[in-house]
Amino acid sequence: MATPEETTRPVLACGEVRTCLLPSSRALSNKEAELLLRLRDDDHVRVSTRPGRHVLSPEILTGVDCRFPLANRAKVRGVGTVASRAALTEGRLLQASSYFRAPVEGPDRRQPWGYYLARPGTLLPVGRIPESACLQGFLTVREEGCLDIGSIAEALLARISRHTGLLDYDVPLRSAATKLWWTARPAAPGEGASLERFTLAEDGVRTVLLRVPRGTEITAVVGLCEDLALHDWLLTTMVEKLDDNGFGSADGTATLRVLGPLVDHLLHLWMPGARVDRTLGAVWEVIEEDPGFSRQWHTLVQRVRDQLALQAVMSQRQALATG
Amino acid sequence: MLVFAASDKGGTGRSVTSINLAYRRALDGDDVCYLDFDFGSPTAPAVFDIPDVAKEAKGRGLHSYLNGMTGEALRVDVWARTEHQVLRSRPSGAGRLVLLPGDRTGGEFVTDGASLHRCVDLVNALRREFNLIVVDLSAGRSYAMELALSATAQTELRSLKTRWLVYHRWTRQHVMAAADLVTGERGIVSAGVSLGHDKDQLLGAIRFVRAAVPDLGSPQWSQVPPAQFAWMRQCNRELEGIAAGLGIGRSRVLGSVPLEPVLQLQEQLITDEDVLDSRIANIQTWQAIGELAERLADDKHWGLL
Ligand SMILES: Nc1ncnc2c1ncn2[C@@H]1O[C@H](COP(=O)(O)OP(=O)(O)O)[C@@H](O)[C@H]1O
Ligand SMILES: [Mg+2]
Repeated sequence: MATPEETTRPVLACGEVRTCLLPSSRALSNKEAELLLRLRDDDHVRVSTRPGRHVLSPEILTGVDCRFPLANRAKVRGVGTVASRAALTEGRLLQASSYFRAPVEGPDRRQPWGYYLARPGTLLPVGRIPESACLQGFLTVREEGCLDIGSIAEALLARISRHTGLLDYDVPLRSAATKLWWTARPAAPGEGASLERFTLAEDGVRTVLLRVPRGTEITAVVGLCEDLALHDWLLTTMVEKLDDNGFGSADGTATLRVLGPLVDHLLHLWMPGARVDRTLGAVWEVIEEDPGFSRQWHTLVQRVRDQLALQAVMSQRQALATG
Repeated sequence: MLVFAASDKGGTGRSVTSINLAYRRALDGDDVCYLDFDFGSPTAPAVFDIPDVAKEAKGRGLHSYLNGMTGEALRVDVWARTEHQVLRSRPSGAGRLVLLPGDRTGGEFVTDGASLHRCVDLVNALRREFNLIVVDLSAGRSYAMELALSATAQTELRSLKTRWLVYHRWTRQHVMAAADLVTGERGIVSAGVSLGHDKDQLLGAIRFVRAAVPDLGSPQWSQVPPAQFAWMRQCNRELEGIAAGLGIGRSRVLGSVPLEPVLQLQEQLITDEDVLDSRIANIQTWQAIGELAERLADDKHWGLL
């Protein structure tokens, strides 16, 4: 909800999504997922079964008082709370999101905590922040003393990963976690959502710059970014698994060892845009156009199927030869 | 799998050998990360040939992470960042190789529950991505050793296969010190048991590595005068006797790495290029490290004797 002061001045939104495979040998049931993501007793875990199984934790808050990561290196203090939530898709893919809204102008002086607590999930500058330096800065600046939103998201992943009662840590395939950093600013009046930039940076980092219609709830933007991050993770992991293995070599069991888990655990997870708020759907359309996520995905899936078919033929031939 | 590299004394060859082991497992296709808990004398950046790591790790390294001064420990992709001629292109079939450097900026170690939890969280996050986590501990009965023992005693890490490599040089003092580090007072076993480990299981997960051992059968030593040679063989036999008497005889040894002239002069990786092309390093060294790397992952060489 927008507070009165925000209806006139622009409010930016920033966040990070971390995506990884749940440290478990099997997918969790919705019941188990509900237990896993019960981060608070006073709020519900949201479970949806269609389209696809998706379990969403309640939001938790982390207090911060630090420098804004600004691209122009100006020193502006930000005080407030960062919101976080976790999501589990198909009982398999775990995501932690941390995010905040930032009005470009805040009180000139640091206020008592009560003031900030009344604005949950908002990081208020002490003074003003230049809009573009903030958006750029969040996507590029990671230095000491500045807001470290990744640590907040990572702490949530760690907290969930400590759930020894539900997790056996025996992952069917090893994979790296990805990070997606996103920022959103209001679109011009009357304009819809648009994707200004999507880049692959180093160390598994993705950056996304969005414009969203005025009045869009931040959780809708978070949902979009989680959906992008999830599908990007799927692509990244598939590419890594397929490219890293010298297929074509005669060793069929090695090939199956790589492909088996992909088929069992990942192939059915592709469902781009299914859970995204309708007002933001245009962003997926852009991504499907270029770089064409689904096109890439279907090519990869075809490669997996081709390899499996080939393996089947080879083992049949072997059986005939030895039989 | 989680592997701790320990030694009673400094200068045993623990860091250099462990880094070489990590490298060889990665070449074999394992996804490997190497954690430098030996904050006093970081060796990995030099061995992996990544010069700017120390500066980069300031305030973001493992020490700072464990002390809660940064929420995440810095990770450095070795294949991407190394200036080493041979390493620069990741060989096909090789797994990931990632360094988590230490840093001296974290201040005094805080030995509280919080750092223990951070350690557990870190390992938990790493095991999703890597199938081999090598942790280089500092020499002696250190805080790092205690942290390693406490962390692996937690329920979260119980299911993770954990192995200990105890390095020592091939001298009387080193052999005795290594045995004492394991079975002596406040050694790994007694400390581990008091932290909740099962004694037999822990003992079964500990093996010794003899580093920089003169291999008297190698051509290197064929030139020494007969009297000297005889004396060396006598010493060798006595040392074997001492080691066996202390319970760290051959069956408890995972392997030995021969004295390597290249490593005597410089802390570095031994690559196939070094032994096959430029031939500056001995092929026996390359083989010995390869054998160690193989046995490290082979259950046959582990467990209670
Ligand atoms: N097999 C070997 N032969 C000769 N020198 C070695 C061998 N292994 C290690 N060294 C050298 O011994 C010294 C100490 O090794 P290092 O790994 O730093 O020991 P530690 O970590 O136990 O303190 C280094 O200069 C290293 O290059
Ligand atoms: Mg060392």
